[in-house]
Amino acid sequence: MSTAHIELTDVMHDDHGHHDQSFISKYIFSTDHKTIAKQFLISGIFWALIGGILSLIFRLQLGFPNMDMSWLQPFLGHWINVDPTSGVGKLDTEFYLALVTMHGTIMVFFVLTAGLSGTFSNFLIPLQIGARDMASGFMNMLSYWFFFASSVIMFSSMFISTGPAAGGWVIYPPLSALPQAISGSGLGMTLWLASMALFIVSTLLGGINYIATVINLRTDGMSFSKLPLTIWAFFLTAVIGLLSFPVLLSAALLLILDRSFGTSFYLSEIYIGGEALPNLGGSPILYQHLFWFLGHPEVYIVLLPSLGITSEIISTNSRKPIFGYRAMIGSMMGIAVLSFVVWAHHMFVSGLNPFVGSIFVLLTLIIAVPSAIKAFNYITTLWKGNIVFTPAMLFSIGLVSFFIAGGITGIFLGNAALDIQLHDTYFVVAHFHLVMGSAAFFGMVAGVYHWFPKMFGRMMDRKLGYIHFWVSFIGIYSVFFPMHYIGIAGFPRRYYSFTNFDAFSSFTDLNAFISIAAGVTFLAQLLFVFNFFYSMFKGKRATANPWKSNTLEWTTPINPGHGNWPGPIPKVYRWPYDYSKPPTEEYWEKMTEEEKENWPDFIPQTVPYSETPESNLPHEQELAEKEKKEDKGIEIE
Amino acid sequence: MVTDINIAGAPKKQLSINPKRFILWLFMVSIVMVFASLTSGFIVRQSEGNWLNYELPSQLLISTIILVLSSVSVQWAVSAAKKKELSKTRFGLSITLLLGTIFLISQVWVWSILVQEQVYFVGNPGGSFLYVLMGVHAFHLISGLIYLLIMLVRTFKEDKASKLQFQLGMSATYWHFLDGLWIYLYVFLIIYH
Amino acid sequence: MQSLLLGISVVLVLVILFMIFKLTTLIGVAKGSKSDEDAGSNKVNAGLMLAFLIVSGIATVWSSVAWFKDYHIPIASEHGEVTDQLFWITMVITGIAFVITQILLFYFAFRYRHSKKSVAKYYPDNSKLELLWTTVPAIVLTILILYGLKVWNNVMGPAPEDAEVIEVMGAQFAWRFRYPGEDNELGRYDYRKIDGSNEFGMDLSDKNSFDDFNANELHLPKGKPVLLKIRARDVLHSVFLPQFRLKMDAVPGMPTQFWFVPTKTTAEMRQETNNPDFNYELACTEICGKGHFSMKKIVVVDEPADYEAWKKQQKTWLSLNPDYLSQVPEDLKEMAMISANIEDNESKDSSL
Repeated sequence: MSTAHIELTDVMHDDHGHHDQSFISKYIFSTDHKTIAKQFLISGIFWALIGGILSLIFRLQLGFPNMDMSWLQPFLGHWINVDPTSGVGKLDTEFYLALVTMHGTIMVFFVLTAGLSGTFSNFLIPLQIGARDMASGFMNMLSYWFFFASSVIMFSSMFISTGPAAGGWVIYPPLSALPQAISGSGLGMTLWLASMALFIVSTLLGGINYIATVINLRTDGMSFSKLPLTIWAFFLTAVIGLLSFPVLLSAALLLILDRSFGTSFYLSEIYIGGEALPNLGGSPILYQHLFWFLGHPEVYIVLLPSLGITSEIISTNSRKPIFGYRAMIGSMMGIAVLSFVVWAHHMFVSGLNPFVGSIFVLLTLIIAVPSAIKAFNYITTLWKGNIVFTPAMLFSIGLVSFFIAGGITGIFLGNAALDIQLHDTYFVVAHFHLVMGSAAFFGMVAGVYHWFPKMFGRMMDRKLGYIHFWVSFIGIYSVFFPMHYIGIAGFPRRYYSFTNFDAFSSFTDLNAFISIAAGVTFLAQLLFVFNFFYSMFKGKRATANPWKSNTLEWTTPINPGHGNWPGPIPKVYRWPYDYSKPPTEEYWEKMTEEEKENWPDFIPQTVPYSETPESNLPHEQELAEKEKKEDKGIEIE
Repeated sequence: MVTDINIAGAPKKQLSINPKRFILWLFMVSIVMVFASLTSGFIVRQSEGNWLNYELPSQLLISTIILVLSSVSVQWAVSAAKKKELSKTRFGLSITLLLGTIFLISQVWVWSILVQEQVYFVGNPGGSFLYVLMGVHAFHLISGLIYLLIMLVRTFKEDKASKLQFQLGMSATYWHFLDGLWIYLYVFLIIYH
Repeated sequence: MQSLLLGISVVLVLVILFMIFKLTTLIGVAKGSKSDEDAGSNKVNAGLMLAFLIVSGIATVWSSVAWFKDYHIPIASEHGEVTDQLFWITMVITGIAFVITQILLFYFAFRYRHSKKSVAKYYPDNSKLELLWTTVPAIVLTILILYGLKVWNNVMGPAPEDAEVIEVMGAQFAWRFRYPGEDNELGRYDYRKIDGSNEFGMDLSDKNSFDDFNANELHLPKGKPVLLKIRARDVLHSVFLPQFRLKMDAVPGMPTQFWFVPTKTTAEMRQETNNPDFNYELACTEICGKGHFSMKKIVVVDEPADYEAWKKQQKTWLSLNPDYLSQVPEDLKEMAMISANIEDNESKDSSL
């Protein structure tokens, strides 16, 4: 006990001893969680733009298959095949697959995992639980720089002559193992695997740190039952990541061995390029099991932080406590546990044993129950609220709408009998882009609008935020809602064009419409990027607690320094959702009109119950008595 | 060292475990998941048939005994450090390092025996899995050896005894973990090979 | 349709521009007074929430009706009728949930917009309500699960004994079909025997392979169970027959299968769809390389009699590739000649 205590103080000394920081240690190799969070955020924005541009290129191809793309040649070089006689340029069919693959990889891992968890877990965990920094600032810094190295490798893989990985973001072998099958499986795939290995290390370093911090460094009084839902979400996300990412590492290791050392874990009975390969006894299905054991939890790694962020924002801006705080935690726990036992629903028609398939139908559809609880609880939080539409609030409501729209189609896809027809069609594309892509993205953007004042001490422009929201919201629905129709009609995903098939050649107009909507949506994001960087320097100065919020981060100075609180870390007395808490009836009668008018609609977590006798519920009144006694006890000491 | 931050305001500890030690435990959890996935992959793949069956070389038992002994010696080093008997600590660590290295050599020896028995790394996954499990474990064991080596160097530096003790305890925990991991793999291989 | 969509796009852009204008004027009017600015834009946003609900509701209903013919593709298999029924039942149930929740979400957002006078209701919990929306979805999902599993088990159950066996093999970038011939049994294969002509790697030491024949189109008999034996030669592919509601991955080294009963001939389907050029098509739905999008084969469903006649016309693979007789073991050669229907003159030539 005593040694551990000494150690803890040492940690504090180590991390906060250096206040004359050079530029490099302050902004580049910083161990401060706030700086690392900003590094993750800006990297995430960079990747989101890259991922978005990639999707625009393939949307051009899908929406306007007859378009002359020779104007893209200066950027894409030999990936545009120009017909020498007519001069008409066409996107290379293999590069199309590379675009789809990189779009998926970038968005899922680099934007919505690193950009989202990396930003908000880092930024909010110490600030909202009342800690000076992460459990290990050094590991936290390493986490970012592993991510950075991983980003550099992934980015450079897009510029090699054989092209980046092109076998889909799930990189199913044998396609991903055989350069003979697709040129992206050559050097591009090697770089993909190297990049992902570093990425996994980064995620593990970060996740271990988040868990250790939440468990060990909560301030006095911050019990688990008083944690903001954001922290619950980040905590569970980190636990899921800790348990699932190592599995991806194993899957990748075996794939690397198959690719470079001639083993046969995933390869068997293959005849390609005019020769029969010697590999025997491997199983491509084994890879799918290992991949989806990560891959499905990954969906929740992406989604849960956003759900946590919006819980906080919706409660604050409805000026109401989040409805069903415990049910929200319970459903997140349920989702976290269930996320590990549903992976094979991605494999219903992969040749999986149908009996195994039916078990996964059962488990998969159960996960809809906690999701439904969350959706209903969000809606009830809005009911009889006093809703302030900040940009963050708008994006949070948008998230709930996407979460419902995309979640409901999951009930179709989780039912194996329906998945036969819908598997690998645009229905799936619509489903996961709404429920995980757009919903998680909206949560991330909402978080940026909401915590921007804490990050940079300035406000983002509201008006631009509103325009950003409405264009994005309508735009995203215009992109993904029609895709359901296309999917029900059976259009397969990852098709370069549909004109080869009579069955799929209808909907050309709709595809053009989707592409236009995608373009408009992307333009709106540029507005956000402008707003973000402009406000960083020129935005209106923030006040200490601009959203009148209860959580701890707003008790720090407007520009918190290293260590977050200049004085002692505040003590926490109550849960974070005491919004619009009314006075007791007894007290209400005694109040003057003026007092009634000025009744505060929020009570921060740091306010003891003993200071609010007017609004305490009976059991809280007992707590107040206890507090008083404790305070006396301290004074005597 | 620090004046402007009031350490008295540092958060009350919520758990009696040190954060760094807790981080080590979480790190070990992630290693467990790597091996859990590899061994369950082993079982899933085996159940699909077309699996190479072979005799497990009995030399693996020797490796196992060596590694268990090294766990004993590292524990001895830790308890010596608690009594502030630094020379004994150094001796214990050196023995552990030696045994760890012998274990690695012994594993390579096992591989050569496997090759003689026509169980190859490249070939039926039944054989490949064995090499991968042993190889990934050996990789982690090397990291453990490096950790212990750093500890050994530290004992020669004028460090605070309490800090050394703490670090040494962590490295021993990691070493025991790698030992336990190997025993798990050994039992697993006996049952499923 | 195209002009209609363009129209929608234009309206969309106009709405956006209008919103920008509206916000700017509001803010311009209220400049100086910060709280009024917020109050003004708060009202606009609340109004837009309601407007979005109404407009998108209309758009959803309109589009689902307008495109019904396009996305509701005809069904041509027995199990397809059942899975489609499940699909529409799920659609109704989830559709109701979708409509209710979205209406509540946007209506509440509009109705409970901020006003200085109103105070939010402190309402942190209601265990009865929460129990309600835990149990109701749980019950509804249980029904869907049970129904779904019943359908799934029927579809995936063992194929009838008398099913027509046809082998479908995916390779970059084409599908290939092998019929078992008169004995209705496919011969063994070994991937190491694959070459330019022997694309299936047929093992000619197996007598079942002598009468096997390859086809360029997938012919199926109407009203008879068909068992597709699916395999892949290089990378993953996936057999997708949209009208038959059939999909199954083709995996190298691990044969898969799917059985079904076609219910409408190509001719009947041409009548039903009023499209004289209609053809059933086989597509690939597992990414397999640059030609993924072009792995198409025509599927023809015949009346059983026509199907038998078509089969009769087909020449066995061995008769088309007599060189491979050398791979047939000596003692089976004669049998091979007979079952493969090879003219004897060739062997006479060689004996001369």
